[in-house]
Amino acid sequence: MNFSATEAPLVEVENLKVVFHGARSVHAVNGVSFTVRPGEVLGILGESGSGKSVTLKTLLRINPERHSETTGRIRVADLDVLALSGAALADYRGGTASMIFQDPMLALDPVYTIGDQIAEAVCRHRGVGRREGMRRALEMLERVRIPSPERRLKAFPHEMSGGMRQRAMIALALACRPKLLLADEPTTALDATVQIQILLLLRELQREFGMAAIFVTHDIGVAVEVADKLAVMYAGEFVETGSVRELMRDARHPYTRGLLAANLHGARKGERLEAIPGAPPALDRAPTACSFAPRCRFAEATCRTERPRAIDLDPGRMVRCILARPAAATSSAA
Amino acid sequence: MSALLSVSGLVKHFPIRSGLFGRANAVVRAVDGVTFDVADGETLGLVGESGCGKSTTARLLIGLIQADAGRIMFDKRSIGETLTLTELRRGVQMVFQDSYASLNPRLTIEDSIAFGPSVHGIPGATARALARDLMVKVGLDPTRFAGRYPHELSGGQRQRVNIARALAVSPRVVILDEAVSALDKSVEAQVLNLLLDLKEEFGLTYVFISHDLNVVRYISDRVMVMYLGEIVEIGHVEDIYAAPRHPYTRALLAAMPSMDPDARTAEAPLSGDPPNPINPPLGCRFHPRCPCAEPICATTDPGLYVAGARGHLAACHMVIPGSGHSKAQAAA
Repeated sequence: MNFSATEAPLVEVENLKVVFHGARSVHAVNGVSFTVRPGEVLGILGESGSGKSVTLKTLLRINPERHSETTGRIRVADLDVLALSGAALADYRGGTASMIFQDPMLALDPVYTIGDQIAEAVCRHRGVGRREGMRRALEMLERVRIPSPERRLKAFPHEMSGGMRQRAMIALALACRPKLLLADEPTTALDATVQIQILLLLRELQREFGMAAIFVTHDIGVAVEVADKLAVMYAGEFVETGSVRELMRDARHPYTRGLLAANLHGARKGERLEAIPGAPPALDRAPTACSFAPRCRFAEATCRTERPRAIDLDPGRMVRCILARPAAATSSAA
Repeated sequence: MSALLSVSGLVKHFPIRSGLFGRANAVVRAVDGVTFDVADGETLGLVGESGCGKSTTARLLIGLIQADAGRIMFDKRSIGETLTLTELRRGVQMVFQDSYASLNPRLTIEDSIAFGPSVHGIPGATARALARDLMVKVGLDPTRFAGRYPHELSGGQRQRVNIARALAVSPRVVILDEAVSALDKSVEAQVLNLLLDLKEEFGLTYVFISHDLNVVRYISDRVMVMYLGEIVEIGHVEDIYAAPRHPYTRALLAAMPSMDPDARTAEAPLSGDPPNPINPPLGCRFHPRCPCAEPICATTDPGLYVAGARGHLAACHMVIPGSGHSKAQAAA
């Protein structure tokens, strides 16, 4: 997976901010920037409330428009996503970018058969007739390896098992060959032996179709299985980015390190876990200091008064922490 | 160590009723002949996929549902014979996955924790003092939290309340049914540390149910693996993780995502979904998905058999000498 650095990014996000207004305001995303090249997989890792799903939904413009305020810039395949409207937006959703969700039972329409739902998307985006749409639906069910696909074409979502429904949703999302696949915790609700099947299927299809993908997950193991590069998200900000290898071997941000320790992989019995104390902050106002400082063992006075700069260690390798020093003058941040 | 909880031949079937007169036309064999012991002071991890019967087993253990057959002994006394439900619940308590649904929304934290002791005959003032003590033990400051309601707390704090409530009647066994699964990773580690501290302080015995094999490995002394209502393997945690004998246990372990970007999982250990416990396969229930299945597996239920040291048992024809499976040893 060597991508020349000169290849133009498919996705460019710059200083994305999302604020929800309602009974109270929530600053869900607070200045996120990243790029994804064609064929590349970005994993966004974070806990509940970190803004990872909101970031993903903003890329498809499916946040409630009347209650949210989005600023910044999103370009996907040379489209200015935040400026799209009407038919152009409908073309973009499902055509250029499409999404798979955690719960296929909620994402699929319960009153239409799987075949109808896939064919409808194909007809809309490809301008083909229903017969051709159904042919494509059957082909997709075969691609995601659903057993006896002809029969499943006529099945309703409730007639399928959880793993099969997730396969059907993947078939639906990929039916129009999107350039960008957005996946929001696609395996979280599945059993362990089914989860690994779906992850391997997604990895295989992503390579085969040459799609770019953004995977949102709270599970480091899942991210390692599918992603090329990772972004760790905390309180609406990317606190650390880098290749999967760099983050697994040389995590710099105290939050990333805490998350890795909390995964318990290789934790020794009887030894106390290095738990991160406290809980994530409420996001009722935009951050003016390091959001992680109240929970951080290494916090200094400046952490509580200033927002830490994003420090670029290498191209694509960023840490938002005063402890991080550029690669040239590495003094172990431990 | 002696057995504090002893379960033998436990069976629970749920009839599925449909149609006008609600006749039972199918049966979910949720727990189907389960026998195991929990030793005093140990942590028994219970793993398996959805529908394998692990939560039903937990509910049977604490008497939330009645078993169809089999016997549960707590501290050498049999439930329903020499041990009443009230006595059982004083000795065995449970913490559930959904921290919010398991608290009464109209009771303050202090009242929730004090409720159990008052039911068991402790005067109100003493029960409230006990509740405040326990809040300190689980890391919640009583001056800040005693008067709060469940909705004012975070998930991690609510789970601490549930743990305190379970401990309020001084039980000897605590059943933790996916008790940390709904928590974020960083909070989960805090609660696991708390559980280990409390176990030591109160000399507790845990039955720890989880789908997260990393957590189970960290916290358990012994591990029990269930599949479609039956135990397929049970043994010391290191034996199960280092040398699993049942193909299903091996598949579960192989299905854990790799944490090494240079050694990603190349092949899924099993294909298809876990089957439905309504009509479990004959013979070994795992045989339709098993990579090692042979004709004997489709006809004969293997039953648990000694598979190694330290009480390691597995229900697989490959570990039974002379079973007729080509990979089994010849009969002695």
